[in-house]
Amino acid sequence: MKKRRFLIRAGVIILLIAIGGCMMVIGRGHTVYFDNKKLEYEGQQLDTYRRINVFVNGEQVAKLSAKERGMASCVGQSFHFDIEATKEKGDDPEQYSFDLSLPYGIDGVIVNLPAIIAGLPQEAWMSEFVPMVVEEEEEEEIVLDDFDMSSDDI
Amino acid sequence: MSEYVTDSNRTFMDRVRETLRNFGLPRLIIAAFLLLMFIIAPFTGVNLWTQITNVINRFSWNVVLVLAMVPMVHSGCGLNFGLPVGIIAGLLGATLSIEWGFSGPASFVMAILIATPFALLFGVAYGWLLNKIKGGEMMIATYVGFSVVSFFCMMWLVLPYKRPDMAWGFEGTGLRTTFPIDKYYGGVLSNLLRIQIGRLVIPTGTLLFFALLAIAIWAFLHTKTGTAMTAVGSNPTFARAAGINVDRIRMLSVIMSTWLAAVGILVYEQGFGFVQLYNAPFNMALPAVSAILIGGATASKASITNVIIGTILFQGMVTMTPTVMNGLINLDISEVLRVVVSNGMILYALTRKSEVTR
Amino acid sequence: MNGKNTSSPKKALAFVGNNAVPIMFIIIIAVCIPISGFSPTFLLNEIMTRLSRNAFLILSLLIPIMAGMGLNFGMTLGAMAAEIALIFATDWQIWGIPGIVLAMIISVPISALLGLACGRILNAAKGREMITSYIISFFMNGVYQLVVLYMMGSIIPIIHNNVKLPRGYGVRASVDLTRIRKSLDGVLAVNIAGVRVPLLTILIIVGMCLIIVWFRRTKLGQDMRAVGQDMEVARAAGIDVEKTRIISIVISTVLAGIGMVIYLQNMGDMATYSSHSQIGMFCIAALLVGGASVDRASIGNVFLGVILFHTMFILAPRAGAVITGNEVIGEYFRVFVSYGVITLALIMYETKKRRAKAHMGAQLELEQREEEKR
Repeated sequence: MKKRRFLIRAGVIILLIAIGGCMMVIGRGHTVYFDNKKLEYEGQQLDTYRRINVFVNGEQVAKLSAKERGMASCVGQSFHFDIEATKEKGDDPEQYSFDLSLPYGIDGVIVNLPAIIAGLPQEAWMSEFVPMVVEEEEEEEIVLDDFDMSSDDI
Repeated sequence: MSEYVTDSNRTFMDRVRETLRNFGLPRLIIAAFLLLMFIIAPFTGVNLWTQITNVINRFSWNVVLVLAMVPMVHSGCGLNFGLPVGIIAGLLGATLSIEWGFSGPASFVMAILIATPFALLFGVAYGWLLNKIKGGEMMIATYVGFSVVSFFCMMWLVLPYKRPDMAWGFEGTGLRTTFPIDKYYGGVLSNLLRIQIGRLVIPTGTLLFFALLAIAIWAFLHTKTGTAMTAVGSNPTFARAAGINVDRIRMLSVIMSTWLAAVGILVYEQGFGFVQLYNAPFNMALPAVSAILIGGATASKASITNVIIGTILFQGMVTMTPTVMNGLINLDISEVLRVVVSNGMILYALTRKSEVTR
Repeated sequence: MNGKNTSSPKKALAFVGNNAVPIMFIIIIAVCIPISGFSPTFLLNEIMTRLSRNAFLILSLLIPIMAGMGLNFGMTLGAMAAEIALIFATDWQIWGIPGIVLAMIISVPISALLGLACGRILNAAKGREMITSYIISFFMNGVYQLVVLYMMGSIIPIIHNNVKLPRGYGVRASVDLTRIRKSLDGVLAVNIAGVRVPLLTILIIVGMCLIIVWFRRTKLGQDMRAVGQDMEVARAAGIDVEKTRIISIVISTVLAGIGMVIYLQNMGDMATYSSHSQIGMFCIAALLVGGASVDRASIGNVFLGVILFHTMFILAPRAGAVITGNEVIGEYFRVFVSYGVITLALIMYETKKRRAKAHMGAQLELEQREEEKR
């Protein structure tokens, strides 16, 4: 009886940890930035497109002219997106669709669209987005008050 | 202690343990901590005399509020978590005295005089209520205090105060949250007979005022009514059998505590230099409760000595830690320390079986 | 005492007496609704939001009441655990429903540990559970500040600068929960006659109610009721009183933690150092407004309480503004009402307890006299 109880408890704990681990994988959020920018890779020159429309789940998330950047959120490690790229004025838009697997440890991923369209390897078009360090002049004041009535909403 | 010495079976450690138990481990830790602070202070570039002055000052502001615990503990009403009830009476005295144009020392005297009827009124109501719910005093006192404070939050807005020093100028209604009182009774006691030796400043007036009150309380506790109060606190059944009107004595103790709290907040304000209204009284009860507990009182026993020792230790800790900590490791955890220590002390008192059950 | 033979007006009077607080609230609300001028749709929407936001938290109070430990002011501990869990989930960038589930899972062990400590302390303070749990919540608030303000970022790793204070350690005064905001409420949300109903949240709350109903019938639930009725009798019947009491507090704290995650995902923003400080007070006040008392509370009290209390909460500032021209006064009024209701309930409970005691004493005396006669 005691043993059974212990097993059930251990089982529940393991299950909770497993669910937690699962959530950490499927819930990991990333921000993906799309760059329509020039790139030089191993001597290869890639030029910008005149216009690129980016779609995630059928919804347009970005409309990029040359040298512009757009962004989209992604929950989980696999990311699918479609693009509609127009090279020069008057050209017919070309359709592409990509599946990325995003590295877990990186919050913000920059994808260079001209490079990915050109079919270059991953290290060429993927890079990490490093947020600019904003120098904060003022130290945030933390007020510790046990009877803070200021919250007007509960 | 002499009986222990003759007992040859007792080892030295036993005796140390006994003394420790009597003194109370938490108190010892706090006392040792404070001592450590005083020792470290000079090494952190903090002037020791300035620090001692600060501690004495803080002591003098707060000690009357702690003294307000004594009568209710004596009559068995427990720790006065309802201190804000008295504080509100004091604040009414303060604001009305200023509103009616008194200034300087007269405003202080008038504040006490005006606060007195309010304290009596509140004390009677509060005492009546506590007599109805014997045994559940502490929790109900806490919430009665909160209810009164939050009720007066509305009153400070609504009551027709007009004096521009304390009322909001533009809208014309309601009192400010905090206002200075240097034109009125700020420092009237602490500047009285003030002694200054180098960096050491002693607010003699405030200390004398406290001594006066303390002696009065001490004397009262030795009168016939006073001993009756102690009897009610230590054994209500016995007291009733001895023909003491328990409810009346308890009521008297509550009125005394309430009045002392009213005077206590005025003493605090004259030292601090500001009147704080609205939510400020919420935060007044717990420090006073834990101070007297640190001083060695329990929920059923408290003396003037407990008040003095407790206030010195508590205020010493509160004043010394920020400066010393900042000087030492540039990290100020004093606020957190205060919260943990003061509430830990109350918890310690609440969980000691023999001490609280009556 | 003898309810069988009373006439109907007496019965009606007794009903009013027993339900004074809810009736008073209904009157306040009935007066305030026309004054405030809010539209019924707006009011219903607000009430729905607050019901889904707060009901789970308030449900966590029921079990300690069942075990005779009064209003668990220590539910704040669960709220703190939830906040710590949400800080981690935010910092690790787990978004959406997974973030909420993860936060709930992280909160469970922290709540359980805090609840265990709380239960043990309360066992040392029998008869003074409420004031003790109240002080525990303050004490733990200090510990919470120590952990969150000084240890996070220095000892406990915190990665992101939007969570950490610029000085390098400690968590900011406000943690942005936009990424999990309303993600629970958004699932299965339906619109009924202009009122948005967060169906999933409501289902979770209903599920919790069913679990509580079931729990009352289990062996443990029965034990708790026995302990709540009379500790000595329960002990004589072979129930481990201390353990049962601890379990009831642990369950309450864990539920409060989960409830706080639900609450904060709805708010979408967390005031790191103050979100939890008043939550216990408001939840307890709401439960009491629903007609509960210190020793008796039902699921019905929870729902009636949330609806009445929060309707008052929505109405008070506006009604205050209309009547006195000052909105702040309404805000103070609702705080006053919250404290007032708790005070009233505590007083009613103590007088009832005292009357019962006096009654028992009188009976004992009577028996003794009869014994002497023989």
